[in-house]
Amino acid sequence: MPDPDELRALGQRLDKARRQSEPRRQEAPPSSAGIAGRFATELVVAVVVGGGLGWLLDRVLGTRPIFLVVMFMLGAAAGIRNVMRAAAETNARSAGGTPAISSDDEEI
Amino acid sequence: MQNPMEQFTIRPILMGSRPMMHTHVGHHEFYFTNQAMWMCIVVGVASLFLTLAVARPQLVPGRMQSVAELAYEFVANMIRQAAGEDGMIFFPFVFTVFVFVLFSNFFGLIPGSFTVTSQIAVTFALACLVILTVIVTGFVVHGLGFLKLFVPHAPWYLLILLVPIELISFATRPISLSVRLFANMLAGHTMLKVFASFVIALGGATAVYLKLMSIAPMLLIVAITALELLVAFLQAYVFAILTCIYLNEALHLHEQH
Repeated sequence: MPDPDELRALGQRLDKARRQSEPRRQEAPPSSAGIAGRFATELVVAVVVGGGLGWLLDRVLGTRPIFLVVMFMLGAAAGIRNVMRAAAETNARSAGGTPAISSDDEEI
Repeated sequence: MQNPMEQFTIRPILMGSRPMMHTHVGHHEFYFTNQAMWMCIVVGVASLFLTLAVARPQLVPGRMQSVAELAYEFVANMIRQAAGEDGMIFFPFVFTVFVFVLFSNFFGLIPGSFTVTSQIAVTFALACLVILTVIVTGFVVHGLGFLKLFVPHAPWYLLILLVPIELISFATRPISLSVRLFANMLAGHTMLKVFASFVIALGGATAVYLKLMSIAPMLLIVAITALELLVAFLQAYVFAILTCIYLNEALHLHEQH
């Protein structure tokens, strides 16, 4: 067994080396295809969920087609919100070690 | 041409001519299917691998131990970066989800195997688990204040519009999380099968030049398989990082950590 002092020194050297290489290592951005795929699903799914919820509400309340129309549009808006949020996350990550999510990007 | 979707069929495992472990509760029939079998294999191999890898820990890690340590550091860094230091209480959860998805995706690439994550039922159940964890965490940490997540800073007359939008946006999460993983696996495997059927169709042709042309889709399959390896890892990563991001929101609401 190597002696503990040497080990501690080695550990400290490792920590230092790791800290130096850290920012470079975390830079690796996700592939553009991955980003595109993520944005597309976020957008489409929100519209589908909005429309689906509207359709369900209409069925339950017997108000066809008011909620379907309203929720469809709200879904589209939610989709754009999702994409904005996803883009903010991607930006934050590729800008380097800073924590993800600028949560409230103070809209308008 | 063989049906390229045939590979996703769920069927009971037969023992002799009878389905294995067949039971029924009321009118519902339960079978031990190829899906269940592959899930058991994935969980079994992953647990066994990680347990064996750190069974006799060495100061200078061997190959297996290195892989386990790399996986640990990868997930730990991901959580620290996305959810901060206090997100580390979720390390076991995120690590389990990540390893399960990763191993399922990789096992699906073995010829003749079954891709567990190509079933929306599996990915949706996983996504629901993640979102339920997020909701429970949010209410435990912030109480009713968690609902502030759905109220952006805006004048009240805009909130009438914005709160429903935020609610729908939140409701899309389990679906986009599960659809992304499921669609990626489904598309990749279907594509492989379709190109494979081209090879067979061209190779079976009588004209020699058609036979020679079958090399082209064959090469494509090799390339796509490599791409699928990347996608398998990337989708597991995306699933895990989004889990971290959602957990971060539940832990810290809108503020920066």
